Amino acid sequence: MKKNKFALLIALLVLVSCSSPLHWKLKIEMPRRTAIDLAQFQEIIITNFWVKKQTKDINLSQELIDYFKFSLEKNFKGKIVSKEISFNHDDIFSNQDFWKNLAHSSPRALYFTGVASYGQEIRKAILEERRSDRFESPFKAEKKLAERKFYTLNLDLYLIDSTTGDVIYKREFKESKGYRNPNQTAYFAFFDLIQRVKDKLFRIILGGEKIEERYLISD
Amino acid sequence: MMNKKLLIYTLTALLSSLFIFGCSRALVENELRFGIEAAQKDLWDEAIFRWQKAALAQPQSASVHNNLAVAYEKKGLWEKAKKEYELALKLDPDNAYIQSNYQNFKRNYELTKENSTNEKK
Repeated sequence: MKKNKFALLIALLVLVSCSSPLHWKLKIEMPRRTAIDLAQFQEIIITNFWVKKQTKDINLSQELIDYFKFSLEKNFKGKIVSKEISFNHDDIFSNQDFWKNLAHSSPRALYFTGVASYGQEIRKAILEERRSDRFESPFKAEKKLAERKFYTLNLDLYLIDSTTGDVIYKREFKESKGYRNPNQTAYFAFFDLIQRVKDKLFRIILGGEKIEERYLISD
Repeated sequence: MMNKKLLIYTLTALLSSLFIFGCSRALVENELRFGIEAAQKDLWDEAIFRWQKAALAQPQSASVHNNLAVAYEKKGLWEKAKKEYELALKLDPDNAYIQSNYQNFKRNYELTKENSTNEKK
């Protein structure tokens, strides 16, 4: 009897030691990893953009400066200024001395610069117009010539550290959208497209949070 | 007589080692659970403190390293989180929970790396 109790005690101890792990599933607001740490810069300098192509209704460089300045002011604690520079050769963005000399007396700054183009085109296509009837129609679907007004914004954005002159982040955006309305203005479409750029860019440079699932475990 | 003594010594040694193992395990288990409770209340610094203590007491526990990794991820300490996830997976490569956590972590970690183009010349 005594022996049995002893064996039972040992078995119990072994069982407790080898029990399977428990887990807890948690929904956590995880911070997104950012490509650059904006907090290490005291100033953001938005330069004019090198415009390679634009529609006549819009001053693309000025619109980009105003838009980025307005959007960044809400998220950056330091100073945001704009600066006019002249773009004279294609490899200006990789010219470290140029960027270092440009801000020699400023605190550590981040240059917001790049190349932009904005264009529009009319695309035509033959579209079949089907009725959304429940039953299949015995008549052929009507074919119509449809026109769409397309706007495309290309932006090669460079973020440059003023102390080293290095490009610390570079990204090429190509955003395009078609409108049924043939009278859609370039100005209106620009804000649709720049909003898309902003969403992608700010997620990368400002981070933010995202709810994700993680497991915490215990032996 | 001799055999009986030997049996008693062996059993005592076995029980003592089980007791010691159980005690250290209980300590780690307590810290682990306490940390989990803290994390559930969004007290991640407290959770990290508990799990760091547990990691010192039982460095071979995959659970401790997994939980630490989650906490570091929450605090935005990406490199520390990566190190802890990798250690946890090394200790328990078949653990589905650790694998799932690591896959999700990697998606966030690598996405930003791809997007960030460092053009140092």
